[in-house]
Amino acid sequence: MASDWQPDFEALVDEHQSMVFSLAMRMTGDRGLAEEIAQDVFLELDKHLRRIESAEHARFWLRRVTMSRSADALRRRKVRGIPLWVRIEENQAVQVEEQSSPLGARLERLLSTLPEAQRAALVLRYQEDLTPEEIAAALGTPLATVKSHLQRGLMLLRAKAASHLKEYVRGT
Amino acid sequence: MELEGMEEFERELKQALERMPAPPGLKHRLMVKKQEQFAMRRRRVVWWQRLAVAAALICMLAGAWTWRNAEQRREGEEARRQVILALRITSRALNQMQSQLAAHNQDVQSQTRTGSLNEQE
Repeated sequence: MASDWQPDFEALVDEHQSMVFSLAMRMTGDRGLAEEIAQDVFLELDKHLRRIESAEHARFWLRRVTMSRSADALRRRKVRGIPLWVRIEENQAVQVEEQSSPLGARLERLLSTLPEAQRAALVLRYQEDLTPEEIAAALGTPLATVKSHLQRGLMLLRAKAASHLKEYVRGT
Repeated sequence: MELEGMEEFERELKQALERMPAPPGLKHRLMVKKQEQFAMRRRRVVWWQRLAVAAALICMLAGAWTWRNAEQRREGEEARRQVILALRITSRALNQMQSQLAAHNQDVQSQTRTGSLNEQE
């Protein structure tokens, strides 16, 4: 099928750098690592640019590869024995100060304490506004598993919010 | 009530998870890295090209050396064959000559013997 869409690497970086960085940042909780992942993802995109057929395909490809690279980075850290959640919380604690809404910042911090699969599903659902079907395609996971991760993740996050963020929940 | 609470919570979560701005200079650093990788790929290609040329030269030299060796062996075999042929011809000629000499010697001896008998008579 012939397509008029011509991939422009710089334009794709401009358009998607925020998305790629945010996904990597929320999955790893480490700003430096997130930037490294973002650079790797875009360099990989440059190599595969000829195979990208449309703007939508580019967006899908970037999401999928970013999530996969982030999962790899988390796995490498676990292998090295770094206490990941401690590091994520430390990093998040510094970075949440930048957020405008304190509730948002604290919710984000609580999100970083969820298991990786649930966090991935919630980030794609609420940051990228994807449907469970799109999340399943992006993560390469069965739809039922994604729905389960979304439901459990949301319940767990709400329970954590109820116990840690009582004053804010009441205030909303 | 519970459903409303969950919807409210989801709204809050959505607001909390808005995309963050990328770090300043990310694109610039990315483009620099891309240029470096491109240069590295080019260097690698040039290196492979040089290696291929060197390998081709080595193959050519090895082929020439093998051909020269085979040619020398063939020439040696030919010379050996000619020497053996020459020796055979020489040997045959010597044999003929020897047999002629032997026949001649016999003739001389029998004539000498007949002459001495005639003298005695």
